[in-house]
Amino acid sequence: MSSALVAMCGVSKQFGAVTANDNVDLEIRAGEVLALLGENGAGKSTLMKVLYGFYHSDAGEIRIDDRMVRFVSPKEAMASGIGMVFQQFSLVPALSVLENLLAAFPNAPWLQTRGRSRVTAALGWLKRLAPNLDPARPVRELAVGERQLVELAKVLNLNARVVILDEPTSVLTPAETEQLYGFIRSLVAEGKAIVFITHKLGDVAACADRIVVMRGGRVVDRALASERTPGQLVSAMVGREKLALIESPVFASSTVPALQVRGVSAAVQGAQISDISFAVAPGEIFGIAGVSGNGQYALAEALAGLAPVTAGDIVLGGVSIASHDNDGAIPDDVAYVPERPLDNAVVADLDLGINLALRQVRELPLFPHRRAIAARADALIARFDVRPPRPALPAAALSGGNLQKLVIARELSDVHRLVIASYPTMGLDVLATQAVYRTLFEQAAAGACVVWISEDLDDLLAYAHRIAVIYGGRIAGIVRREDASRQMIGRWMAGMDRGEAA
Amino acid sequence: MNNRPVQQILYGIGGIALFLLLASVFLLAIGKPPLTTLATMGVYAFGDNYSTSESLVKATPILLCALAVILPARLGLITVGGEGQLYFGALIGTSVVVNFPGGPMFALLPAMLLLGALGGAVWSGLAGILRARFNVNETISTLLLNYIAVLLVNYAVYGAWKNAANLGWPATIQFPPAATVPSILGTRVHLGLVVALIAALILHVAVTYTRWGLGLMVLAGNRKIGAMVGLHFARNTLIVMALGGALAGFAGICETSAIQGRLQSGLSVGYGLTGFLVAWLSGQHFLRAVPIAILIGGLIAAGDALQLYSKIPSASATILQGLLFVSALAASGLAGRREIRHG
Repeated sequence: MSSALVAMCGVSKQFGAVTANDNVDLEIRAGEVLALLGENGAGKSTLMKVLYGFYHSDAGEIRIDDRMVRFVSPKEAMASGIGMVFQQFSLVPALSVLENLLAAFPNAPWLQTRGRSRVTAALGWLKRLAPNLDPARPVRELAVGERQLVELAKVLNLNARVVILDEPTSVLTPAETEQLYGFIRSLVAEGKAIVFITHKLGDVAACADRIVVMRGGRVVDRALASERTPGQLVSAMVGREKLALIESPVFASSTVPALQVRGVSAAVQGAQISDISFAVAPGEIFGIAGVSGNGQYALAEALAGLAPVTAGDIVLGGVSIASHDNDGAIPDDVAYVPERPLDNAVVADLDLGINLALRQVRELPLFPHRRAIAARADALIARFDVRPPRPALPAAALSGGNLQKLVIARELSDVHRLVIASYPTMGLDVLATQAVYRTLFEQAAAGACVVWISEDLDDLLAYAHRIAVIYGGRIAGIVRREDASRQMIGRWMAGMDRGEAA
Repeated sequence: MNNRPVQQILYGIGGIALFLLLASVFLLAIGKPPLTTLATMGVYAFGDNYSTSESLVKATPILLCALAVILPARLGLITVGGEGQLYFGALIGTSVVVNFPGGPMFALLPAMLLLGALGGAVWSGLAGILRARFNVNETISTLLLNYIAVLLVNYAVYGAWKNAANLGWPATIQFPPAATVPSILGTRVHLGLVVALIAALILHVAVTYTRWGLGLMVLAGNRKIGAMVGLHFARNTLIVMALGGALAGFAGICETSAIQGRLQSGLSVGYGLTGFLVAWLSGQHFLRAVPIAILIGGLIAAGDALQLYSKIPSASATILQGLLFVSALAASGLAGRREIRHG
């Protein structure tokens, strides 16, 4: 192995009372993939943002090529060859791929019509990463996976020697993921250093050379990738030998469906679904897989009776719940955990108590009892572990994961006939994720039809009774869990073929 | 969190200090002794019973127009239509007086007041319907409806309703005693002030403590969630716009009947816009709007008095009023910035 390109020594970072990094040592070596493993909130991203000059450490030092550095901004870090691809991309959606690349290209000509050779140079990396991507396309039309490649090309254009990737595979199809692994190997072969922030063990197995595991802001394990089994890594990340196993409830496939979705078409915010049909029985967990942006949001909103249906019908227990106008209300026997809860599920300025009482807002007494609302909120907040547990706090003050728990507390504390959950574990760590799954499965066990939209194929394969794949606003295929394979679902997710296995 | 009231008081004091500074600079510039002039203004505004009553007379339409802005603001709507609603309310309320000038008080007075409120409600409700049904921006529509209402009043008083006995002066007949809003304790303060104060209290309770008020907060915060849990943005838009308009229309007919005694052009000296500013200064809070409206009423009344006794042009009062608004907004703006920085 080569010597250290970057050495971080004793780095600490506080956010108020929270210690994000506590005396962390880390080495990054050229020609090597370092997997930085850990749960949400373990401090991986913070540590890398310190290196990237985005945050300033409270203590500790950073050396690059054995020289002390102290970056004040990402600009300085980039000048020293550090590049980072964030989870939230920094591309301008309205501009084309080429314009986005030129905007960050150090040697960009001042007019696009001049300096042809430099324009070509700006496209060099993109041609390697995504030869079929047309640089004239506006970024807003690109799939998430393609955007990530553009972002990566942007970083490589800056002659980055260290490329930090923050959870890059979370938005990719299995095939795109394989492709990314290939690029990472070839970059490493050229002598670049890659830091791969992830919590997926599959990423480690596929392309890591060295592993650093973080938990609670500290490094808890460091080793060569070959020296650790997946089980060892999980216990290092979670801090327990074993997680309690959870299982989805037993379901007899002969049960008569209660939810009938028949040829539904709808459009929400420019995203379309067309001719979607499936049926879900009480007690069944119906998983919907797919790369995000393929119509999941429109489908969830239509099922919840919020988005107008332009064709087809949605019938729950013999009654149509499809909405035909824009101001549709959610039926009482439907629970809905939408994606992007800050926009779609809560009133950000109002307190947690009111947000938890929203579904009952029309049944409250004329003068609502503030104390009764707060008392109910206290109980739900404790049961679903929302932090900080203060009902008087506005919803906007919660972190993403806790906001998610708040919405789940509101929607899943009573049993409903239909439960729609879009990415219900977004932003949650392993333990909280398990708690959410348990709540979801309790709903199914109590007789709810559960429609569960997720990007996590492993969890869908582990728990859903059937899995449908949505691609381009249509159902690409539906398969029973027993008959499903990652390859088959992966092909459907990529739109490569269509099938109806079950 | 705990030091917030203290901070607010500090910013309030800061705002007043800034106003005194700016006002002094202005008064020096027009060659008047700043301290004595300001002190004189205080006396003219609230120095004795007569001055206080005149200040309350000015404050009444301002307060009602402020309430007409605050209620829609609770749903997230920004209306600037107080002036037009005031004019249209005066026009509709006057119609009954012009047509039945000899009617008995028990019928004429209530009919006039109700029609005045109804006129304001209709004028504001127009903008409400445009917003609820066609998503037309209510700020623009209320602004434009202001011009129409003012011109409609002109059309009436220059035309069909012009009293021939006025020797060409564009105004209606003098309102008979049966159509005169009763005044209080022999001053010019009238029933409108009582209604305004009661309305402020009732609206405060309604939006702060009732289920309906909670629904407004939900709809204002996230309209999509409001619709999801079965609240109706369109219906509530109509309700708050119509109720607000009714208050401004009531202000218009009261001003016409109790203060001017007849409908004429130039009925309002910018009460609608002043009410809008009072609403913003109060932080869209019904009860806080009351003292602010009275203070502004005092400033306007004192301005009139200054013109009479100190030979200071009446525009000075408007300039001072502008300086007061700027100072108060600067202070609250600074407070907001600090909060963001510390948040």
